[in-house]
Formats: sequence, structure tokens, C-alpha cells
Amino acid sequence: MRKKLLAIILLAAAMAFALAGCGGSKGQSSQGGGKETAKQETQASDKIRVAVIVKALNSDYWHLVEAGAKDAGAKLGVDVTVLGPAAETQVTEQISMIEDQITKKVSALAVAPSQPSSAIPAFERAKAQKIPVVLIDTDAPWQDKVSFVGTGNYVGGKQAGEFLAKKLGKGAKIAILRGALGDPTHDERANGAVEVLKAQGLDVVTIQPANSERQMGMSVMENILQAHPDIQGVFATNDEMALGALRAIEAAHKNIIVVGFDGSPDALKSIKEGKLTASIAQNPYNIGYMGVEAAVKAAKGESVEKRIDTGTKVITKENVQEEMDNLAKILGR
Amino acid sequence: MLKTVSEKAVKEPDIQAEGKINWKDLLYSLGALLGLILLSAVLTVLSPDFLTLNNLMNIARQSAINSLISVGMLLTILTAGIDLSVGSVLALSTVVMAILIIKLHVSPFIGVLAGLCLGAFLGFMNGILLTKLHLPHPFISTLGTMNIARGLALIVTGATPISGFPFSVQFLGAAFWGPIPVSFMLVLVVFIIFHLFLTRTTTGRYIYAVGGNPEAARLSGVPVERVLVIVYTLSGFMAAVAGLVLIGRVNAAYPLAGLGYELDAIAAVIIGGASFFGGVGTVWGTLVGALIMAVLRNGLNLLGVSADLQTVAIGAVIIGAVYIDVLRQRAINKGRR
Repeated sequence: MRKKLLAIILLAAAMAFALAGCGGSKGQSSQGGGKETAKQETQASDKIRVAVIVKALNSDYWHLVEAGAKDAGAKLGVDVTVLGPAAETQVTEQISMIEDQITKKVSALAVAPSQPSSAIPAFERAKAQKIPVVLIDTDAPWQDKVSFVGTGNYVGGKQAGEFLAKKLGKGAKIAILRGALGDPTHDERANGAVEVLKAQGLDVVTIQPANSERQMGMSVMENILQAHPDIQGVFATNDEMALGALRAIEAAHKNIIVVGFDGSPDALKSIKEGKLTASIAQNPYNIGYMGVEAAVKAAKGESVEKRIDTGTKVITKENVQEEMDNLAKILGR
Repeated sequence: MLKTVSEKAVKEPDIQAEGKINWKDLLYSLGALLGLILLSAVLTVLSPDFLTLNNLMNIARQSAINSLISVGMLLTILTAGIDLSVGSVLALSTVVMAILIIKLHVSPFIGVLAGLCLGAFLGFMNGILLTKLHLPHPFISTLGTMNIARGLALIVTGATPISGFPFSVQFLGAAFWGPIPVSFMLVLVVFIIFHLFLTRTTTGRYIYAVGGNPEAARLSGVPVERVLVIVYTLSGFMAAVAGLVLIGRVNAAYPLAGLGYELDAIAAVIIGGASFFGGVGTVWGTLVGALIMAVLRNGLNLLGVSADLQTVAIGAVIIGAVYIDVLRQRAINKGRR
């Protein structure tokens, strides 16, 4: 009996070893720069190592961030490891990942915090170990960050406003659907659009929250159509709400220009089919790429801008195929 | 259910004969410990950052929440039950603490106490559903509570996180005593208390008896229903305690906290050598089980292994550990024939 048990334990250990071994090799393949093994990597401790920790590695969005980060690593000749928990709700797991990378004494961290205020104690720990932290995608109220590298939401909102103004001209009636009240990302997007629309003489008749959901976007739009049947254009501050609004508009057999935000795969598909008019696409590839660039600069002690805009662009029927091909190429499909 | 009862009957003498058989239990919890040591040795070789004071303290902190939930889960599994609601109970009790302390400016002490009582109450309800409403299996009662508590947590917070606790509330999860995290010291204290409770008190012995053979326990005068209610109440209470540590760790309470934690806790208990059929298991085995999971995650993080593969590794460890349990059952049955 004892012998059997011992055999099993040894077997389990061997299994763990094998797993860790193949895990290690996966880790290497996910390093953009050098093709070194874990051991060599620690020997060459002068080489810059950047850990990129995202909210989760379960969507195209984060895979694009990952691809950008790795390409930056390859270009700059630094080691880049991209990690993320299994789901965006795993806040404590993400914090553990940050802590473990600090233990590994990486040269710099680039983090997209799932819950910004919760990650601050971990950032403080990085600072105590003199590891610079760049925030990517999502900002956190932490003074000592090197930089925030992410979408310029205000500029993106202005682009949406300009697009609607160009398409519809003076006096057109516009409705805006936005994410949850008090969410700064959606404040910026909505405010950017409102500023341009007003300056160009369009009429923003209503701004309503639809909590970034497709279902809610649809019901809010149904109500808006009841109250303002003469609406000519809609700007939704994310694609989910835009696609929901579109359904309401289709059901009412109206012809209204709808502009979303994000450039999500669903939205691109809808644009290609001629349903959604446009989407203000974020650039997750740039978020990863420029995030690593900023982290490397910080690791070398060079100065980095406090805010880096990763750019947005208007996707319409004219350029949607190009954008889709481009994303597919980055994702390797 | 009937089948498990009859299996229990086979095993029962094994639990009651103390002195002689205990070495076997010791060996099995030692089995998990040996696994932990081997795993650590392998990781020490693979990653130079693994065996450092800093990292060991990280592991101590990262394991604390799961350890605290697991010790409550151990009690339910000892009675051949299960508590699926712990993750949701953790979430609801922490968001209630947050609302009381941050939004309503109740004194932190009262707010925390209320949250802990809520956790215990939800556990108590699990016990009542099982014993008084005679729901057929704790899987069902706690599955119900799991959904109710999660839904309530989402409703009362409007699905948004609440942050900004005073440090007194964060103390258990955030403070250090020298290099040692307070959360891990709490784990040790709690585990010592539960060890004494299970081995030195009548109620503790009853818990093993109920898991070993509920019918025999009832006939020999064990208040089975009361024991079950106590067990689920303690499980809910420990989930709320773990929630308090989580608050300190992330300085926030959020309605989706603890999602899937029940599965981590079950895994820790099972890896730690407790039997799913009840009656067998120790707090120290459970602690080792929780540490194995934390070491595995930490080590794979250090090696830069993706979260997906970590999940696979933990799954493999669970199957391996339960296979040991199966072999043990077989050996015991063979020994009796």
C-alpha cells in the first residue's frame, strides 16, 4: 500500500514536472523578443523584460493587444510576456499575477487593471521594488504611473460628431446613447461628440444611458423613436448599444444613420452588410504596441509622456473590408 | 444517497477506532504534503524567483482567501455534503459591509460584524433548507442560495464595485507583521481553532460521525440535524471571513467577487485528502490542499504560463488527488474482506 502511494506521488510529481516543462516552453513562445529558455533568460538579467498583464485573454480585443505587445517586443529586442486571467471578473487573480511578476523582478510592467482602484496596492509594491508601471487600456487613479496608454475617447467622440455632421448637415436631429452614468470613458465619448455637433449646428435632442448593453440599447432606442420620430442620426458610445439601437430602428422601418464606438467584430460585420453606418474603431494593437514602447522607455530611465493616445479611426462601408483583413492578419487567421 | 449510506457503513469502524488507524490518515495527509514539497522543489529548480522570502509571503497571501473558505467547505464535505454558495455568500456579505461602512457611514466594527453575521445567517439558511425543508441534497439547497445571494449582491450594488474602506477594515487582508501577512496568521489561527473543534469537542466528533454514517449516528443519539445546521452556518461564516480578507486585498467590494471560489475550495479539500463520501479529512490536509493550488498558480505565473494552461494543471492535480482517494477506498475495502 505504502509503495503504491509512493509510486503515485512520484507519478504526480513527474506529471507536474512535465506540465511545468511544457508550460515553460509555451511561455517562451509567447515572448516576443528573444527565443531564450527560462533559465537563460535569468542569466541574461541585463536584458529588458516587460510583463504585460491584461484583463483576460479571452476575446479578440485582448488578443490584438497581445499581438501588438509582442510585435513591439520583437522590434525593440526585449522580452515581452503577456498574461491575463481566464475572465475579466477574476480581479484577485489578476492582482496575484502582478505580484508574481514583481517577484520575478521584471524591468517594467504594463497593466490593464480590471478594477483600477483595487490594483493600486499592487502598483505600490512595484514602485517599492523600483519597477515602473505603465497603465494600458484602462486608467487608474494612481499618481506614480509612468503613463496611461489608451484610446483617446474624447477625440473619438469628436470624430463621431464630425462624421454625423458631414453626413446630415445643419439642423439634423441627433440622439446619443451612452454607457452607465458616471463612467468617465463614456463621459468623454459623449462630450466629444456633443461639442462638435453643437459647433456644427446640429440638434442633440436627447442623451440617454443604455449601460453599454445591446438589449438596453434596443429598448432605449424604441422609447426615443416614440418621443422623437424625426431623429436622423444616432451616436452610441459603444457598439453593443449601437447594434441594439439598430434593431429598434429596423423594427420601426426607419432610415437613420447609426454610429457606434469600438470597431468590434460584430459591428464590422454589420457595417459590411450595410446596416450599421459607421463605428469609431479603437486600436487595441496600438495599445499593446505603444504600451510596451512606453514600458521599455521607462525601464531605460527615459522620459515618457503622461498620456499616450493610441488613436481611433472611423470605419465605414468604404474601409471595413480593409480593416477586417488587417485584424484577421494580426490575429493570424 | 442510499448507496453512499451503505458505503459509509463499511467504512465506519475505520473512523471510530482511533489510535491504530490514525497513522493511515496521517500518511494520506502526508501524501498531499509530500506532493506540495515535490511541487515546490520542481518550481525551485525551474524558477530562481520561487524560493525567496518575498515570493513565499506572496503565496501565503494568495492562498489565504481560499484556505479560509476551504476550512468551512471541509466541514460540509466531512458530512458528505457540499456548499456551493460560498462564493456568492462572500460577495453578498462583502458588499453589505461596503454599503454599511462606505455609503451609510456605519462604524466599521458594526459594519464588519453585520457582514459576518449575514454570512453565518446565509449558511444557517442552507442548513435549515436541508434539514427542515428536506431538500434532497445540499447540492440543491446551496445551489439555490448561491444564485439568490449573487443576485442580491448585484441588486444592492447596482452591479458596480464599491471602494474606499478605512484601513481598520482592510487590516486582515492588507497588513503585515514584519514580513508575514496578517491574512496568513489569521489562516493559521483559524485552522488551529478548527483542528481543536473537530478533534476535541463533541460536536466536532459528531461531524465525522454524521459523515461516516448518518443513520448509525442518528440511532446512537447524535443530533444529526443540529450538527448539519452548525456545519453550514460555519461554512457561511467562513466565507464572510474570507470576504473580509478579500476586502483588504483589493480595497473594494464588488458583486462578482468570489465567482467560482466554491470550486477552488472543493478542490483544496479534495486535494487535501478528504473523502467526497464524508467522514474522512483533516484541516491540515485542507491547508496543504489550498497551498498546493496557490503554489501551482504562483509557480506557473512565475514561469509565464497562460491562465488557460494553469486551469488544465489544476484539473489534472484534482483528478490525481481523487484517484489516490479511490485507491484508498479500494485498499480499505480489500482489507476488510
